[in-house]
Amino acid sequence: MNKKAYYGEYGGQYVSESLMNTLNEIDEAFEAAIKDEEFIKQYHYYLKQYVGRETPLYLAERLSEKYGTKIYLKREDLNHTGAHKINNVIGQILLAKRMGKTKIIAETGAGQHGVAAATGAALFNMECTVYMGKEDVQRQALNVMRMEMLGAKVVAVESGSNTLKDATNEAIRTWAKTAEDTFYIIGSAIGPHPYPKMVKEFQAVISREAKKQHYEVEGKLPDVVMACVGGGSNSIGMFADFIDEEGVELIGVEAAGKGVDTDEHAASMAKGRPGVLHGTRSYLLQDEDGNIQLAHSISAGLDYPGVGPEHAYLHDTGRAKYVPITDVEAMDALMELTKLEGIIPAIESAHAMAYAFKKAKEMTKDQSMIVCLSGRGDKDVNTISNYLAGNGYLN
Amino acid sequence: MANRIENRLNELKANNQKAFITYITAGLPNMDKTKEIVKAQNNITDVIELGIPFSDPTADGPVIQQASYEAILNGATLKKTFALMKELRDDKVETPIVFMMYYNTIVNYGIEEFVKKCHETGVDGLIVPDLPYEEQDDLKKALDGSDETILIQLVSPISKDRIPTIVKEARGFIYCVSSMGVTGQAADFHKEVCNYLSYVKEQSKVPVMMGFGIRTAQDIVPMKDIIDGAIVGTYFIELLRKNNFNPEAAKEYATTFKKDINEL
Repeated sequence: MNKKAYYGEYGGQYVSESLMNTLNEIDEAFEAAIKDEEFIKQYHYYLKQYVGRETPLYLAERLSEKYGTKIYLKREDLNHTGAHKINNVIGQILLAKRMGKTKIIAETGAGQHGVAAATGAALFNMECTVYMGKEDVQRQALNVMRMEMLGAKVVAVESGSNTLKDATNEAIRTWAKTAEDTFYIIGSAIGPHPYPKMVKEFQAVISREAKKQHYEVEGKLPDVVMACVGGGSNSIGMFADFIDEEGVELIGVEAAGKGVDTDEHAASMAKGRPGVLHGTRSYLLQDEDGNIQLAHSISAGLDYPGVGPEHAYLHDTGRAKYVPITDVEAMDALMELTKLEGIIPAIESAHAMAYAFKKAKEMTKDQSMIVCLSGRGDKDVNTISNYLAGNGYLN
Repeated sequence: MANRIENRLNELKANNQKAFITYITAGLPNMDKTKEIVKAQNNITDVIELGIPFSDPTADGPVIQQASYEAILNGATLKKTFALMKELRDDKVETPIVFMMYYNTIVNYGIEEFVKKCHETGVDGLIVPDLPYEEQDDLKKALDGSDETILIQLVSPISKDRIPTIVKEARGFIYCVSSMGVTGQAADFHKEVCNYLSYVKEQSKVPVMMGFGIRTAQDIVPMKDIIDGAIVGTYFIELLRKNNFNPEAAKEYATTFKKDINEL
């Protein structure tokens, strides 16, 4: 057993033998890169000049007043391409170039990571193929067009349930055949080691900035830090620099879809069991035979039946708390943030907002919380419009 | 009791014969048919791989993915496959049988319980494509080196420096996979594959089997002096489909292949 691939009992490298040497190469290249000042300088250069970092830590004044505690929003929605996903893409694509790869592949559900990967590929002149479930290709037609405009090839995956997990399966299969010249950019904090570690490293910029920004204004650490959790990339980035700060309460918000007591949710920690999928051991939604169940959420970005292995570890050790928020609660929070602050969040991020409002009621006006506003809602206007019209939703 | 796979492969070795191994997805189109297809190959096919269907088969191509998906829709499960195994052994089917399955199915069943059930129902070996050498500790601990059920090791053309470690304590046979392509490729391709197979053969104390894109015994002519046998999966499933899962088709194909492979 490769101990450093694990977070407690979670993580590992559950992939076919034909990918093991590839993973070892990536691991070595990654460890060398993050110790190389030149690499780090380059990464930060693109984050600043291309992505537009640092992102603001905004004190949501009207919300803070209404809920009686200081609510700070870490504005990842203001990044280029509209979400935190680009932070990780820049890091992994620079690593891919450093390793001499000329092609990248990525999986995507709603299309956000696919768009970020296609953007990075255009920027660094790499050939890009994005795997997307056939169902998702149909319901996210605009993002498919964006990826194609950026020069990426979008492959509609027709197998199993035709959604994100199947797109991920297909990306893994392709990678196993083409790893010699192809780098697989995983967008979430999942996958075999070293992927969860890489994604955390490249998303940790969120908490590094937020911690410093909060100090500058408040002169102390925040009391609570919160983020939504699908696979867990924005949340692990938001938690990263606070994990060792014991006084800071960490909260991850899972998608409860139509409710955790229904069959239609994506709450893998509330309702799942440990298992192995996509190269890693973590909490999974699965049936009694160990087949993976479909996740459901109004937010396509949280619509994944598993969760990153470090989150599973933080959950079991009690360092972080994970709570479910339903579609309805998230949509109410989305409308409230829009009306009170003039910010239309991604539906993913609205899940974190919804729990922030609940949590605020336990807090005092001298306390503060940081909520990761992981993405903007432009991509969701169709879903929002259908929801408001009472037509249910596309996902 | 010694292991059925090892017994069979030892016999073949003593008679200077090559092994023929087939793969079918358990429960495609249903468990009764699977049983008939296994029985039809009794005393012909040397080892039968029974694929336990899984929702996310990342190591399989489109044909086996579809087979797995349909089998699940038709109600196939690990529990039912164990029941099938028991029936086969009760019916005195002594063909060595290997479960080819994904690790989550084992974890979900409970590793200890799973191994116990394998012993009870006569599952002779396990192939777990998403469980590389480094992750095998828990399963090996449960198997505890017993003869009833053994873990088969897989290697790939890019395993290279990992090969000696992987094959060192391997039992049964080494399953050599290739993601590099299918049959009918240029001579350079065969040369590269032959080099890889020779290296595995040189390192391994147990027989070496090749499985990728094989349709007929003729396909292994370039490596016939290196390997100890061939595994046919995808093509076998296509063939069964074409013949409406008629057990006779399985029997006929296995008989021909088994004869041909020893006359190359």
